[in-house]
Amino acid sequence: MTIYSLYIYDRHCDCVYYQDWHRTSPIRPPPFTNFRPGVHRIPSPPSITTKESIFNTKRLSALEDVERVGNRELKGLPFDEESKLVYGVILSLRNMVKKLSGRDEAFTSYRTAQYKLHLYETLTGYRFVLLSDPNVDSLRFVLKQIYTGPFLDYVVRNPLVIMDSREEGIDNDLFRSAVDRHMRNLSMFS
Amino acid sequence: MTIHAVWVINKAGGLVFSRTYSDTLPTQTLNATLILAGTLHGIHAITSRLNPITGKGGLESFEGENWGGKIWMSLTGIKLVVLHSIAHQGLDELMKKIYEIYSDAVMKNPFQTLEMPINSSLFESRLLGLIQSVN
Repeated sequence: MTIYSLYIYDRHCDCVYYQDWHRTSPIRPPPFTNFRPGVHRIPSPPSITTKESIFNTKRLSALEDVERVGNRELKGLPFDEESKLVYGVILSLRNMVKKLSGRDEAFTSYRTAQYKLHLYETLTGYRFVLLSDPNVDSLRFVLKQIYTGPFLDYVVRNPLVIMDSREEGIDNDLFRSAVDRHMRNLSMFS
Repeated sequence: MTIHAVWVINKAGGLVFSRTYSDTLPTQTLNATLILAGTLHGIHAITSRLNPITGKGGLESFEGENWGGKIWMSLTGIKLVVLHSIAHQGLDELMKKIYEIYSDAVMKNPFQTLEMPINSSLFESRLLGLIQSVN
């Protein structure tokens, strides 16, 4: 019984927040071209700290070395691709459930042998996605609690957070620690 | 428990068998069902990549508010999909029984071509008997 990760998407289908707890599969930070500030706190790859002289002929090869080592050490999907895959899966399953029901029926969760994904949609188009252990009951109430609690207090009522910005996420220290506290107080978190 | 529909998807993602057993869900055209089965096949592959811990395995079940679906993949790669009402018990045994009927009535049929649509009255009648005992 445990909680793995939390994704929040806005109505533009962009991931605006990410946090993980007991996740063991590796994840890579996104490439710099796709980096959006204020979404996640995945440590960035080791960069070249000492600036070498431009007259050093070995400079280029050293750079390549660092890149190769960096690529070998960092496994897993880059964050931007992973968040898009998660969104794609919930979108297609949502459409499928809707199509098969013939009416506006909400898709709530899916399960694999390793994890269970819970989805909670707000009326404003925010989608809260939680990955947990497969044996737990529905955790949509937790997502609703996060929405009505920390999300409203530290994101919606926070004048420093730009909602709907499309440039950056909603991450801030208060929100992150409040979500963390909320999750750690759950009985299924261990 | 009510079983709404049973699908069989071959290992390439094509729908080879589909029957509905209740009128809770609206009837779909065959083309729509084919597309949905293909989508499910793709989702199955993606979900195994999103694994937060080590291990393998794709989509096993999904739920809406009033009904859900269960997917069971055999070692040979065919997927059995059952759409059912939310209160469900003994679904795993039911899947096993469906697979048993499938292997008896379809795989042992010398006129059945692998990966092709299933047109077997024996399979259909035995499946209908099983589902009627559950519904």
